[in-house]
Amino acid sequence: MRKSSFFAFAALALGFANADAQPSAQKFSAKEIEQGRYVAIAGDCAACHTAPVHPGEKPSGEMAGGYPINSPLGAIYSSNITPSSRYGIGAYSEAEFARAVRSGIRRDGAPLYPAMPYPSYAKLTDADIHALYAYFMTAVKPIDSAAPTTNLPFPFNIRTSMRIWNAMFVDEQKIAADPARSAQWNRGRYLSETLGHCSTCHSPRGLMMQESKSAPLSGGPLGSWFAPNITSDKVSGIGGWSREEIARYLSTGSVPGKGQAAGEMAEAVTHSFSRMNPADVQAIAEYIATVPAVRDDSDKQAAYSFGHSANFETALRGDSKPALGSKLYSGLCAACHGRNGDGSPDGTIPSLHHNSTVGASRSDNLVSVILHGVDRTVGDRHVLMPGFGEASFVQSLTNAQIADLATFVRQTFGPGDSVTEKQVAVARTGSSFSIILLVVRSAMVLGALLLAGIAFWRLRRTSGGKTA
Amino acid sequence: MNQVSFNNGDADADVVIVGSGVVGALIADQLAGEGHSVLVLEAGPRLDRADVVENWRNFSFERRAGNDFQGPYPQSPLATAPLYWPANDYIELSGPDGKGFKQGYIRAVGGTTWHWAASCWRHLPVDLKMKSTYGVGRDWPIGYDELEPYYCRAEEAMGVSGPNDPAQQSPSDRSKPYPADMIPWGNGDEVFAQVVNPHGYNLVPIPQGRMVKPWQDRPACCGNNNCQPICPIGAMYNGIHSVEAAERKGAHILAESVVYKIDTDENNRVIAVHWYDTNKVSHKATGKTFVIACNSIETPRLLLLAANERNPNGIANSSDQVGRNMLDHSGFHCTFLADRPIWLGRGPAQSSCMVGPRDGPFRSEYSANKIILNNISQIHTATKKALAMGLVGEELDTEIRRRAAYGVDLSISLEPLPDPNNRLTLSKTRRDGHGLACPDIRYELGAYARKGYDKACEQLEHIGKLFNAEEFHITTDLNANNHIMGGVIMGASSKDSVVDGNCRSFDHANLWLPGGGAIPSASVVNSTLTMAALGIKAADAISRELAAA
Ligand SMILES: Cc1cc2nc3c(=O)[nH]c(=O)nc-3n(C[C@H](O)[C@H](O)[C@H](O)COP(=O)(O)OP(=O)(O)OC[C@H]3O[C@@H](n4cnc5c(N)ncnc54)[C@H](O)[C@@H]3O)c2cc1C
Ligand code: SF4
Repeated sequence: MRKSSFFAFAALALGFANADAQPSAQKFSAKEIEQGRYVAIAGDCAACHTAPVHPGEKPSGEMAGGYPINSPLGAIYSSNITPSSRYGIGAYSEAEFARAVRSGIRRDGAPLYPAMPYPSYAKLTDADIHALYAYFMTAVKPIDSAAPTTNLPFPFNIRTSMRIWNAMFVDEQKIAADPARSAQWNRGRYLSETLGHCSTCHSPRGLMMQESKSAPLSGGPLGSWFAPNITSDKVSGIGGWSREEIARYLSTGSVPGKGQAAGEMAEAVTHSFSRMNPADVQAIAEYIATVPAVRDDSDKQAAYSFGHSANFETALRGDSKPALGSKLYSGLCAACHGRNGDGSPDGTIPSLHHNSTVGASRSDNLVSVILHGVDRTVGDRHVLMPGFGEASFVQSLTNAQIADLATFVRQTFGPGDSVTEKQVAVARTGSSFSIILLVVRSAMVLGALLLAGIAFWRLRRTSGGKTA
Repeated sequence: MNQVSFNNGDADADVVIVGSGVVGALIADQLAGEGHSVLVLEAGPRLDRADVVENWRNFSFERRAGNDFQGPYPQSPLATAPLYWPANDYIELSGPDGKGFKQGYIRAVGGTTWHWAASCWRHLPVDLKMKSTYGVGRDWPIGYDELEPYYCRAEEAMGVSGPNDPAQQSPSDRSKPYPADMIPWGNGDEVFAQVVNPHGYNLVPIPQGRMVKPWQDRPACCGNNNCQPICPIGAMYNGIHSVEAAERKGAHILAESVVYKIDTDENNRVIAVHWYDTNKVSHKATGKTFVIACNSIETPRLLLLAANERNPNGIANSSDQVGRNMLDHSGFHCTFLADRPIWLGRGPAQSSCMVGPRDGPFRSEYSANKIILNNISQIHTATKKALAMGLVGEELDTEIRRRAAYGVDLSISLEPLPDPNNRLTLSKTRRDGHGLACPDIRYELGAYARKGYDKACEQLEHIGKLFNAEEFHITTDLNANNHIMGGVIMGASSKDSVVDGNCRSFDHANLWLPGGGAIPSASVVNSTLTMAALGIKAADAISRELAAA
């Protein structure tokens, strides 16, 4: 949901303002500001714009940007969106603010990269935009410090090509209410398609990195993770989940017997869904449960339905040369997940059978969770499964060890396939790998866009059309 | 940030630390964080947690029931640590109570806190003033007030949970709350407190290096009671956590590197230490400052081994106190079947402890004690007993269950006084894999703690009565508690002490010997938090020294 790695190479969001014009000295009502705070939570602005604080580091401040995404091209930082007029968005008028949020054009006219999910925010209502503006201008503390600048090499510093991309793929048409559906459903659709920006991660992407319109929410890669199919298909999607389960997942991150949120979804739960009001979460569930089913024919069984309580312990104890995977499972996982994989009876520690991460058709999330662990906070409840990647406090595992362990888990509790060392190696370099891939791909796309752009412009000019 | 430099297998760093246990690792973490180049030389290998967990699970019933916590840890043949199943006689024990000094410690990256129980007690303020208050033992050259901020920092570094209710603190002299409130009590703790507390025994929560919530990169304790010999999930603080943290800040750790020799210059400053690698090839590490944090047996052993021309009795040993005053909380056990279910073994290995007998005017005559409600699952003991009773089938199951529920194990610690005759020396006959002399230790409990034993027995008889105890038993043999102290004792004068209040050696201005070895009074509480606090205090002193240079 956040720091979407499709465009992870792109500098995020709103840039620096030229302090020539001041925003109109508007007065906002307390109600508007509160609504704006809520919109910011639902849109999860903080996920990218508030850098998390690591022990021993100085916090950069709420909405002050500086969240680094490390890539081989250099670190990419999110920007300061506090109302600091020098370093943030303090100089933005409401119209300029709206243009940035909805159309991805910052105040100085430069286009943003769609790592900022403006293609989703494009459909926000005027009232929500106004509230959001009210909130940012009055309730967010201005922080007068510059977020580190992102310096991407050519051609990734050419923002202009994004204009063409926007013209092709951004649809600012407002969402028309569907009178045949309940108000709850319509609210859910609005939230999912705009602030929730579910499709940013869960929809597959086309050649030009645009969200697929033909199979929305049917799943997409996300760095080393895979944002699963969340359509209503009973096998490939989450059609087997009740609306209550979907709502519970969003607001707590955990539905025993179905799945738990990790990675970026855990962050979305932590910062956004768990803090939304229950009626809105229920509305999202109502809508998501009706998303047209998309089936992948190679899927035979729902991800959460695999596996059963296992019994390998006795065999393991009698074995002087046990398979590495089972030994690692016993040594590092069994103390919490149980030697049978049952988890804890109260569901605090998830079972590994009947677990979407383990049963998913792709093993990306299982490998990622072993590498990076789980980190999720709901209210005052912090859930942390340690990762086993580099500098783990428990034990750092090699690629081969993780492959063996993941294979053991897939074969004991999941669909039974194997995970290779190479897969783990790719996952370990996770975001940077996909960035390299994207670099190559995007260079092609950008090149194509530039050419297409020139042709487009020429055409417009000769036909006397108005430029966008 | 300064980097350790290597040249032909030799190394140079601002700070050279020998030993990567909690004490060495915390110092490395702090000084590397300040930008100094830090080299840590560690005798033992790097461990994989999963191997140790599995070694333990694959152990025979006898070794598990007998608490063979040393056994599951792989050792380097070139850096032996004590083993008892069977005994490897690495340390030869003598003296009237030598058999009660069978210490366990680990020689591996991260050190002995791999298999500790993580009880994180503080000394009482009066523990630092035993001589002036009670006329016995020694006074520390520093007061509790000076140590207190370092206790706070050690608790922070090790992520300690403890009771934030002052009535349950021992001591309650604190400038900061615990990083997290106490681990909630289980049934056994509650039942015991109800029964014994009206009689002044003051059962309180044990402060401990684990939490019921995640702490930094550490998961929440899931209460599986496996802390000794290893926490399978890393929820319990281990020295390896500080090693990893130090490495992230640039410290360089060399495993399987056994330090054996120390060079000093004409001002008796240390200029280099030498180590053997796994091929028995010798290398040299030069530096500005040197820290030896090898624990209270290996530190004095190394100082004696490293005797050189200018320091013929051993490094830092002009006082002749290196290797003397060996201390531990010599202990014993009391077991019985209570008249109501206790269910020991839920949650972490250490949960509550009676501190009523921890202090009082009696300390001028005999030793204080503390009585831990040993929260180790009783299933092994119960099973052993039920099998010995010749039971089979359902009767066997029922009896195991009954004993597991009603069984009580109390672990009592005494406070022996520092005695220069309790002494570590180098063996004339036994040598380790590198040909270095093994340690010999002579140990006698002493009349003061003996009398404390007798008094403790009276208290235990009383507690037994409160529970209408069956099969009441008090062990007469002493057991070691692995809280090794003494050996490089701290004091006000270079005449009778090895180090000053910052753990700096009196003989060598740039040599620090922090940890348990410096502790001049044992108190009755597990002393690793105090060792860690002394380590951080030494790190501050080193930091000031490096800044001044
Ligand atoms: C079973 C058990 C339970 C315990 N429970 C508790 C408890 O609950 N609470 C408590 O306070 N304490 C407890 N302790 C004691 C605690 O573990 C020690 O006090 C603590 O680990 C000492 O830390 P240290 O850093 O001084 O030494 P160590 O952790 O022993 O580390 C010293 C390191 O120095 C290395 N070294 C030694 N010689 C050399 C050399 N020549 N060259 C290079 N390196 C060398 C060693 O290999 C070792 O890794 C327990 C101990 C045991 C055995
Ligand atoms: S009780 Fe279990 S999880 Fe908790 S510290 Fe001990 S071994 Fe670790």
